[in-house]
Amino acid sequence: MLLEVTIRLKKGVADPEGANTLKTLRLLGFSTLQEVKSLKTWRIEVDTRDPGEARRQAEEMCRRLLANPVIQDYEIRTLDGG
Amino acid sequence: MDLRKREKEMKRGDIRVAIVRMEGTNCEEEMHRAFQKSGARPEMVHLKELASGRKHLEDYQCLMFPGGFSAGDYVRSGAIFASRLKSTMGGDLTRYVERGYPVGGVCNGFQVLVELGLLPALQGTLAEAPEAALATNDSGRFECRPTYIRHASPCAFTHRIPRGQVRQMPVAHGEGKLSFPPERQPRILDQLEENGQIVFRYTDPRGHPAGYPWNPSGTPGGITGICNPQGNVFGMMPHPERVYDPWTHQDWTRVPRREGDGRAVFESVLTYIEKKF
Amino acid sequence: MAEGVSPIPLDGLTGPQLEDLGRRLGLGLSAEEMARARDHFARRGHPPTDIELQSIAQAWSEHCCYKSSKALLREFVVGIPAPQVLITGEDAGVVAFDRDHAYVVKMESHNHPSAIEPYGGASTGVGGILRDIACMGAQPIALVDPLFFAPLDLEAPPGVHHPRYILGGVVAGIRDYGNRMGIPTVAGQVTFHPGYLRNPLVNAGCVGIARRREIIHSRARRAGELLVLAGGRTGRDGIHGVTFASRDLAQMEEDRGAVQLGDPITQEPTLHALRECVQRGLLSGLKDLGGGGLSCVVGELALAGRLGARVELEKVPLKEEGMAPWEIWVSESQERFMLTVDPRKLEPVLEVFRAWDVEATVVGQIVPGRDLHITWHGEPIFDLDLEFLTGGPEYCRPWSPRRRENPPMALQEPRDYGRALRDLLASPDICSRETIVRVYDHEVRGATVIKPLPGPPGRTGHGDAAVLKPLDSTWRGLAVAVGGSPHLCEADPYRGARLAVDEVARNLASVGGTPHSLVDCLNLGNPERPEVLGDLREVCRGLGSMARELGLPYVGGNVSLYNESAGTAIPPTPSLLGVGIVPDIRRCVTSDLKQRANPLYLVGETRPRLGASAYARLQDRPGGEVDDPPGPLLKRTLGALLRAQRQGTVASCHDISEGGTACALAEMCIGGDLGATLHVPDTMRSDLWLFSESGSRWLVEAHRTRKSQFTRTMKEVPLTPVGTSGGRLLRIRRGTRTLASEKVEDLRGAWATALPQWTSGNGRKR
Repeated sequence: MLLEVTIRLKKGVADPEGANTLKTLRLLGFSTLQEVKSLKTWRIEVDTRDPGEARRQAEEMCRRLLANPVIQDYEIRTLDGG
Repeated sequence: MDLRKREKEMKRGDIRVAIVRMEGTNCEEEMHRAFQKSGARPEMVHLKELASGRKHLEDYQCLMFPGGFSAGDYVRSGAIFASRLKSTMGGDLTRYVERGYPVGGVCNGFQVLVELGLLPALQGTLAEAPEAALATNDSGRFECRPTYIRHASPCAFTHRIPRGQVRQMPVAHGEGKLSFPPERQPRILDQLEENGQIVFRYTDPRGHPAGYPWNPSGTPGGITGICNPQGNVFGMMPHPERVYDPWTHQDWTRVPRREGDGRAVFESVLTYIEKKF
Repeated sequence: MAEGVSPIPLDGLTGPQLEDLGRRLGLGLSAEEMARARDHFARRGHPPTDIELQSIAQAWSEHCCYKSSKALLREFVVGIPAPQVLITGEDAGVVAFDRDHAYVVKMESHNHPSAIEPYGGASTGVGGILRDIACMGAQPIALVDPLFFAPLDLEAPPGVHHPRYILGGVVAGIRDYGNRMGIPTVAGQVTFHPGYLRNPLVNAGCVGIARRREIIHSRARRAGELLVLAGGRTGRDGIHGVTFASRDLAQMEEDRGAVQLGDPITQEPTLHALRECVQRGLLSGLKDLGGGGLSCVVGELALAGRLGARVELEKVPLKEEGMAPWEIWVSESQERFMLTVDPRKLEPVLEVFRAWDVEATVVGQIVPGRDLHITWHGEPIFDLDLEFLTGGPEYCRPWSPRRRENPPMALQEPRDYGRALRDLLASPDICSRETIVRVYDHEVRGATVIKPLPGPPGRTGHGDAAVLKPLDSTWRGLAVAVGGSPHLCEADPYRGARLAVDEVARNLASVGGTPHSLVDCLNLGNPERPEVLGDLREVCRGLGSMARELGLPYVGGNVSLYNESAGTAIPPTPSLLGVGIVPDIRRCVTSDLKQRANPLYLVGETRPRLGASAYARLQDRPGGEVDDPPGPLLKRTLGALLRAQRQGTVASCHDISEGGTACALAEMCIGGDLGATLHVPDTMRSDLWLFSESGSRWLVEAHRTRKSQFTRTMKEVPLTPVGTSGGRLLRIRRGTRTLASEKVEDLRGAWATALPQWTSGNGRKR
């Protein structure tokens, strides 16, 4: 089972990486630019065919390592439908 | 043997300090040197040695997490170190802290303590999930620069520094902005203040609150060192071990000092141990 | 023939065919070199395998065997006698520090990879130089990074990275590798010249400290020792790095495969494990895998011990499946070391690496004789005489001196001296590097005594050299500085090179370090062009002559040629790393003014030499003369200045280089947050005196209470009283006339804001 876990900063948490990239892109001439946000994606393969089980494992990974709930949200997508 | 039953003070030379390392911690040698110069018996302990039971927490009277980039700081600063510690020895750590042993973290070590849930420890010794985060500096950059920090409230690691005194210590980090869930941040900051958990705040050279570059990360209220409510777990972003001696201060060719501004952190925790155990 | 290995018949092939074959295989060998290989295999009786031929290409590349520069280095640069030198000619130079300790020093270029992938190129440059130091048995203690880019407002042609992108990537690469390894980056330089548009230069240097008895040679000791490969795994990354570094950069995209990314978190525990093995005396020889990968390291370890080797190539741990034997053999994957280990010590060595979670694998053995045998799953695939393999060609190519027009220069005396000074302070090569310096951790390890930016926190200025206190047991320190100006070398490679040595020596002495050793990185264009080789010759002659006059040995170096593309070469760029000995770090001096009412002195002779100076460039004036200061006088001056510092009479000291005396004093004022008054003497036109870049000079602030002792100590060398410290203004006067009167705060503003504005893209336009 292939999963994609996306970690993003919560609303209201400053995103200096996004802000700096926005600034630089504007300097490069992208004048219609509205917003740039940084996020991080992990592609994770788990050895199960049960999407519910795969999702539970990914949630556990987020809780125990991948996300800090104080400033980050996570979103889990299963990639191969199965 | 239960150390709490000791009647006599512990001798400095008998105090064993575990400096916990893993791949990527890289400030352990200067921390080791600082404890050695203060007369204690520091020892490098690899995370694996603790996790596998080859070395035991209770053989040490102090646990230190040095700076660096543990596990490359991949995922988040300190997250991998913390998660490995928690999964293998979370219970031992809780008991260790509850017995009053001091646990300290500097820079990446502070990040580890926060990720572990040992700081700020508002709901108990070791929080299930992190209660705070050390987020990316507002500048978006790694910042290596001297800073001034005011001692706001004493703990096991700082009681030898007069309250209100300003000290010069260098920082070197990209993620040092203490953050809480945005909606609850003001309340939590008040609570930390009331509990006496805010140990150091960035200031300008005269001790007044100030913005960048004096506050290099944009951390709220300049907070750059906190402890748990009991005062025996402590983390700070600046590096006291880098200014143990006068001659590594930024301005030592201009300002004479008898000792480095960081030395008092090591002296404080060692006298705390001498008195308590 | 083993699977994945093919024979390459060379018999009967001639010039163009050989050249064509070499090109198809990516060998980078000339027709003559291919012919030499052909003849060798004809004598052997059966054709080379692909792995044999690839191995020869690695060993004979410019990068590995210095075939174009060796003769010049031998004639001018190497072999300056100095008793402090313990080892040269291995991975890094080893020089005496005190009775029991040595320091280890090396600098290398990582130019070609950085042009293509700035972040990966620069970070692996740092990784590689750290391994060079570590493999001598030393603990790395300081990194330096001289960088050379095109001006940031220059537009890049299609297919070429914008200089701003290159600068950003290179700085981030150095930051991430150095910081993660926990080795402070303490010095460097950033110099701009349009010649670096297609060929930016990234030089990385490192200094380490070792117990003398723990120094390890890059050679096997006896037959029977095991070859242990430790650290990262071997992958397809970085195949053909050295052959790629030895030609010009025409097809950038195609070369991307030659660039690697670094993994500091594999290297960090590897260095810890090595330190432990070294301290416990478990290793007989040690060498890092750099250019050429296994193909270079095995042969060199064996041959240096006058021995041969046998390798079982299938034992090499791989990152990816399906690699051909020749790819494994020449891969330049990072973070790898080869150890030679007495079989009885194998178990403890493997135990140390296991404790650090680092892979270490026996891949072969040292054998008697001079042959290198390789097998692949038991089948022989490689059998070469090491002396043939490593005895690469050596060329004395034709060279011609470049004709240079250096007509007298018509410099315009400025109406507004204050403005001229501010413009100079804001110019690309002089303005503050603080935004770069502060992303490097320059004090991890807690031993950086003099930092790159001296002065009070928040008000720092420009330093000349960093000082480290490597050992707890002694006050003795190491000063580290870099130097070299492509502007001066372009105008006059010989004098420019002499001035590079002068500058490094000045920088070291500024902080109280006695110049002790040098390493050189020579970056130039295509040596097959006679005028480029002429430049190389002049650079070598200049570096050699000045160092010889000072008694300063070169203990290591690196030559990077073929830095040219589309027919334009970089300016000749010798870049130097110098190390000085500080007998007692408590006597170190920084460049920031300390106190009001202290007398200021100019040490050295001022000559109106402004050829290629920052001032002339500001006015866009070519021509003019580059200074050629006499070495013996510099040597005497250094001695006197260092004595004065050690007597405690010097409050601050700064070398005079780009922007001349005026800029040097401005930097002292900025760093000290204190004004000064400077009196211009009547000897020449004011601007010539203020902005001259003649060599061998310093500005000194003496303690007013120790003034007479200072002047007594300096009485044998040229010394001019030039002013006083104090106030909030930098005032420049000639007789009763005030030429400039600038607030220190305004000078700081001009100096400090230029680079951030320029790097973010809304800065100066020229």
